[in-house]
Amino acid sequence: MYSADIRQPLVTGGKTYSDVTADVCRPIENKPTSSWWLGFITGVVLLMVLVVTLAWTVWEGIGTWNTNKSVMWGWDITNFVFWVGIGHAGTLISAILLLFRQKWRMSINRSAEAMTIFAVFCAAIFPLFHMGRVWLGFWPLPLPNAFGSLWVNFNSPLLWDVFAISTYLSVSLVFWYLGLIPDIATVRDRATSKARKFWYGFFAMGWNGSAKSWGRYEVVALILAGISTPLVLSVHTIVSMDFATSVIPGWHTTIFPPYFVAGAIFSGFGMVLTLLLIARYVMNYQDYITKEHLEAMTKVILLTGSIVGVAYITEFVIAAYSGYEYEQYAFANRMFGPYAWAYWTMMFCNLLAPQVFWSKWARTTPWFIFVISIVVNIGMWFERFVIIVTSLHRDFLPSSWVMYHATWVEVGIFLGTFGLFFTCFFLFAKFLPVINMAEVKTIIKDKE
Amino acid sequence: MSSNNYWKGVEELDQTKEFVSSNANEFSEGLPLDKVFSNDDSTRANRRDFLKYFGFGLGAVTLAACNKAPIRKAIPYTEKPDNVTPGVPLYYASSSVSNTEGFPVIVKVREGRPIKFEPNKEATYFGGGLDGLGHSAILSLYDTNRLRGPMVSGKRKPLSWEDFDKEVKQGLAKTVSLGKSIAIITNGSNSLVTNKAISDFKAKYNNTEVIAYEPISYSGILRANTKSFGQRIIPAYNFDQADVIVSFGADFLGTWISPIKFHSDYSKNRVPKEGKMSKHYQFESLMSLTGSNADVRVPMKMSNVGQHLIALYRELGGATPHQGMEVAGNTIKVAAAELKAAGNKGLVVCGSNNEADQLLVNSINMMLGSYGTCIDTTNYYKGQTADEADFNAFLTRAKSGNYGAVINLDTNPLYSHPAAKEAFNAIPMRITTALTLDETSVNATHIATNLHPLENWDVKEPYKGRYVIAQPTISPVFEGRSSASSLVAWAGGDVADKAETTHAYNYTKQTFEAIVGGNFNKALEIGIVENLSAASVPSFNITGRAAADAIATKKGVDTELIIYQKVGVRDGAFGNTPWAHEMPDPVSKVTWDNYISIAMPDAKAQDLETGDVVKLTTKTGTIELPVLVQPGQTKSTYGIALGYGRLLPEEVKNDLKDLGKNAYPLVDMTAGYSDYTIGGVKLEKVLTPYKYEFGITQTHYSIEGRDIIREATLDEYNKDPRSGSYVHKPKMISLWDDYDYSKGHHWAMAIDLNSCTGCSACIVSCSIENNVPIVGRDEVRRRREMHWLRIDRYYSFEAPSQKDLSLSIVHGGEQTVEAGEQMTREKVMEAYSAASEDTDSAYDYYQNVRVAHQPMMCQHCDNAPCETVCPVLATTHSSEGLNQMTYNRCIGTKYCGNNCPYKVRRFNWFRYNENEKFDYHFSNDLGKMVINPDVTVRSRGVMEKCSFCVQRIQATKLTAKRENRKMKTDEFTTACAQTCPSNAIVFGDLNNKESEIAKLYANDRSYHVLEELGVKPSVQYMTKIRNKK
Repeated sequence: MYSADIRQPLVTGGKTYSDVTADVCRPIENKPTSSWWLGFITGVVLLMVLVVTLAWTVWEGIGTWNTNKSVMWGWDITNFVFWVGIGHAGTLISAILLLFRQKWRMSINRSAEAMTIFAVFCAAIFPLFHMGRVWLGFWPLPLPNAFGSLWVNFNSPLLWDVFAISTYLSVSLVFWYLGLIPDIATVRDRATSKARKFWYGFFAMGWNGSAKSWGRYEVVALILAGISTPLVLSVHTIVSMDFATSVIPGWHTTIFPPYFVAGAIFSGFGMVLTLLLIARYVMNYQDYITKEHLEAMTKVILLTGSIVGVAYITEFVIAAYSGYEYEQYAFANRMFGPYAWAYWTMMFCNLLAPQVFWSKWARTTPWFIFVISIVVNIGMWFERFVIIVTSLHRDFLPSSWVMYHATWVEVGIFLGTFGLFFTCFFLFAKFLPVINMAEVKTIIKDKE
Repeated sequence: MSSNNYWKGVEELDQTKEFVSSNANEFSEGLPLDKVFSNDDSTRANRRDFLKYFGFGLGAVTLAACNKAPIRKAIPYTEKPDNVTPGVPLYYASSSVSNTEGFPVIVKVREGRPIKFEPNKEATYFGGGLDGLGHSAILSLYDTNRLRGPMVSGKRKPLSWEDFDKEVKQGLAKTVSLGKSIAIITNGSNSLVTNKAISDFKAKYNNTEVIAYEPISYSGILRANTKSFGQRIIPAYNFDQADVIVSFGADFLGTWISPIKFHSDYSKNRVPKEGKMSKHYQFESLMSLTGSNADVRVPMKMSNVGQHLIALYRELGGATPHQGMEVAGNTIKVAAAELKAAGNKGLVVCGSNNEADQLLVNSINMMLGSYGTCIDTTNYYKGQTADEADFNAFLTRAKSGNYGAVINLDTNPLYSHPAAKEAFNAIPMRITTALTLDETSVNATHIATNLHPLENWDVKEPYKGRYVIAQPTISPVFEGRSSASSLVAWAGGDVADKAETTHAYNYTKQTFEAIVGGNFNKALEIGIVENLSAASVPSFNITGRAAADAIATKKGVDTELIIYQKVGVRDGAFGNTPWAHEMPDPVSKVTWDNYISIAMPDAKAQDLETGDVVKLTTKTGTIELPVLVQPGQTKSTYGIALGYGRLLPEEVKNDLKDLGKNAYPLVDMTAGYSDYTIGGVKLEKVLTPYKYEFGITQTHYSIEGRDIIREATLDEYNKDPRSGSYVHKPKMISLWDDYDYSKGHHWAMAIDLNSCTGCSACIVSCSIENNVPIVGRDEVRRRREMHWLRIDRYYSFEAPSQKDLSLSIVHGGEQTVEAGEQMTREKVMEAYSAASEDTDSAYDYYQNVRVAHQPMMCQHCDNAPCETVCPVLATTHSSEGLNQMTYNRCIGTKYCGNNCPYKVRRFNWFRYNENEKFDYHFSNDLGKMVINPDVTVRSRGVMEKCSFCVQRIQATKLTAKRENRKMKTDEFTTACAQTCPSNAIVFGDLNNKESEIAKLYANDRSYHVLEELGVKPSVQYMTKIRNKK
């Protein structure tokens, strides 16, 4: 039981254990609501956009995009980094906050983890389909092969990406699934139909709620949290190395790893807030996702947003100080060149906008937080766009300086990944407990 | 049995009972067969079965995924022809096909297919280079629109030659019986075989007139020379003899007369030797390729050229009462002084087609004594001989019904002459010899389908006494017949093949033996025969004074239109080859289009930007084209290129159809000659919803003051050969281990920025050698041209004058611009806007830009950034210093392309072959014949880039190995280096100390681009030296 007089209760409304079970299981056991259908159908429609645009890309070639001789990565890798970044909050919440014994994470960690996994799915689409020959996409895997001494290049940051992201995805999946087992067992126990009993029973893996099971469960959770924690830092560090280890001015900077990790947490929390605020409203979870939660998360946004802001300024100062004309130009070009609008959008969204969270009102007003969370999402997309496109479009030799604008295919793929994301998320909300019942029950006071 | 008895355990040694029994079975525990075959459900699929099913499933899926590859049959020779070994190229000396001049070339033939032109290095007079159009014209052989056989108007099905000849003969007989004349339109008179055939024809039809027609006129020179010294010729210009070259609007490196030879000659004196190099002044309206290479380039209105010539004439001491006109900065005075000092090593050329202008130029050259040194009137040029007055007179006569028949030999006047169509239609029988349906052949009554020059025999005489022999390098692809044979046939001659040789061969051999003499086979082997006469100096009949009088009244105009040729497409005659269109213009870098080029001040005054569409009105017509703002162009001048706006029939699948507008109708012929400078033009902005987007390969004009091109003046260079190349850089430590190239070869390249003129021949040569796809205008608009080799063109501003500096000093008491500083547009603009409101002076800078050309290809870096980032090792380093690209391994992440500091990697965004969206030569069976079999045609989704022509390296290595010897010094070179008319690119083995490259690497002028990155490129550039103060 968790209580302290100086803290606000983490779950309000005087919920009992059975209230928790009933509230969380309600969407699973009842027919879906009209707002669920609306969201789900929108997601599926967008998912179809993804299918069509990806099919077109594979059928015709990457030429259907507008990437060109100088800007060979455009929206594709921007979206990749954007989604990977979003995929950071879940594990951070479930692993790092678990280790730090932050109990407030308990009602949000399930959906944050689900978001992580779906975001990584979305992210994985881009490095795969940005390949000219996607059907050979398995070649970066170090598979034994019949081609003689053909092997992968361990020097390549893209290869590190392959390992980092696949590790991250598998650990996150296992961690998420492990946490689900007791709750699935609850759903199983409450199931009335045979099919439900079978399927939830299958995925509950024979969970019986014994003290021994609980004991093992907690140990494994801690171990996984320990494994995940460095991953939270490593994944985006490695993603940042795609840029940091290159020679292109604007990419080639040592500040990238910490700056990318902070940015990823920033954007991840932005996305978690967006989703939770919707879920809280649609599913009536105001008692579980309280203003306390929102406030805690906005504080993380304020912190990481400021870190990112400092990084922007540091980068600029270092460029000015470097005496290296290409670096200096790259940053001047970001601010005043043809893509200045993107840079200033980024600066506004990431550096300025989150500063409103110094105000208590801003931290506790859900609609306002929602607006800012969207702003943060937009800002973080632009951050990646600015880094990738403005660095490439004007690098060393002015003869190759070009402009780049996305085609409908590129825009369609990006929108389509939201379709994939929301389709997965709505399915998750329908079929799995969105809030970790077992854990939440440990932090409420039930007189029974 | 071995005597050693091994045992594997104590059990075996002891032969325990259990061991004996269990050892009888293969598996000590036995297979769980009972369990598997029992009805017990729990064991139906056990672990082993799972693996089996999994393995089977995977195998089945894999098999299903393996599409059957399409079967293509290769038919082997039943009897191998002599000398043809599959995989071994043959080389034949022949003549270029891109113009009528007859430029000596070598044709590379693989398995009976000509696949590439290479320069004929034996023909030293012609310089051993080739241009872009010359290279790309090989595709006219494999043009899918080629006519399949002789045709009669209205019918699109070929006839047999007998039926066709019968009809033609009947028609000609009718003409004779009606008492009307027959006209033969030729494209000049330097083909001995055609001339012989014409005389044979005339013997039968004595009422025949021969009229020469060339789309581009040099009649000004022809007429002036007739008046000056009684010879109706264009002399041979020897730029290698000239120490001081003054050109008034003559683009002699790009399009004027015979630019490939001029290139080679010009470049001989452009690299400083013993402290000297030639000095080149260029006065011109538009920014031409030649102007971009000048030491001193002065913007001038072409309509004022006569006044400037008078000024030069006076300065040189010519007697004339007229003052003439001096350009800004008294450059004519300076040039005159230098010309005087150079004496007979001075050369003045002029691009004007006005007879009086050329007369004065002749007088100036006479005063200098250049005749006999720089100008040779004895072994004169024969590539251009037509005078448009003859053709215009023919048109007038034709309109009045003088002719019963016209035989048009390989010319296309209906495209390039606005009045030709009406006159031609007044002639009842219009015969034309053509390869494809063009404007003239569509309008003909009879099309005698010609042989392509590469299927035909010919002897050409590009210069008096220099004969170039053309020989077929492929059997005729279609039912064509050489135009000479056709003429002979119509004259009643027998053109049947005799003794297994064709009529064309016998006829050519006879002609050669009669006119040139000597061993025909020997001549065929070398490709050129020279029977020269000693050069003599002509005696002049006319003084410069009279010429000056004739020009004196001609005054400049307010606004003028200059009609010019683009380096790529030239007059448009052989422009149906997509390579020529995809080759960026050396100066504007625009592909696939013509446009109205305008100067910056005009653009500002009329509120125009690149891409705005304007209507230009002259006395003779109007034209609507997008504008391109061109730095360096003279204020109030406009330029439009010829060779675009073809009107081709619908059935011709051609990339030319929607390209640009035809500017030939704008050529002013009111004064009795083709005047390409048209005064009194009006420009009107046309409102369009969108700006026109050019397919332009380089969109940023300025070098931003970066240390990419290094240059120095000749004086600085003479003081210190390393000047211009001093850049203070800290000593850097490399994180990488150096490669060890001590064994074997170490390939490298050197590019001399002094010799390189930017002509872009290397781009086309490289594209053809390496099967680089043509992507078309839309893809170039999306910045996706595939060229492995590009030429970066940078503009820079002259350092501001003292006056400008004082302007800057006034502002805030601070000198914002330092003398001698490399100026970027931004800096000049800043300096000016800071100093005053007067931006006009800033725009003056746009007229006085300097240009630098820099070929850029894969630098084959030792520490290549592309190599480290490829996740699958598709790009790797060879032990010979090459950065290799393994297409088959490439999965297309494009990371290498992003990480390349030189941005030379090209990605296959689409499948460019066998794709109807890219309907160039890669997508039809005929066009594919030109593909180089030594180089892979890349699939969609892989990266490609310059390979240093690795196929040539490999072929030469193998030859050396087979012959059991070491590779000879400079035994081969890359396609770009081979074709360079100015020898600016040198490729070779650094480990061979005898090689040219090894010597160049020790040159004081050498530097690497972006060397501070530490990538250690294998391509070295040499500082550009400008011969100016």
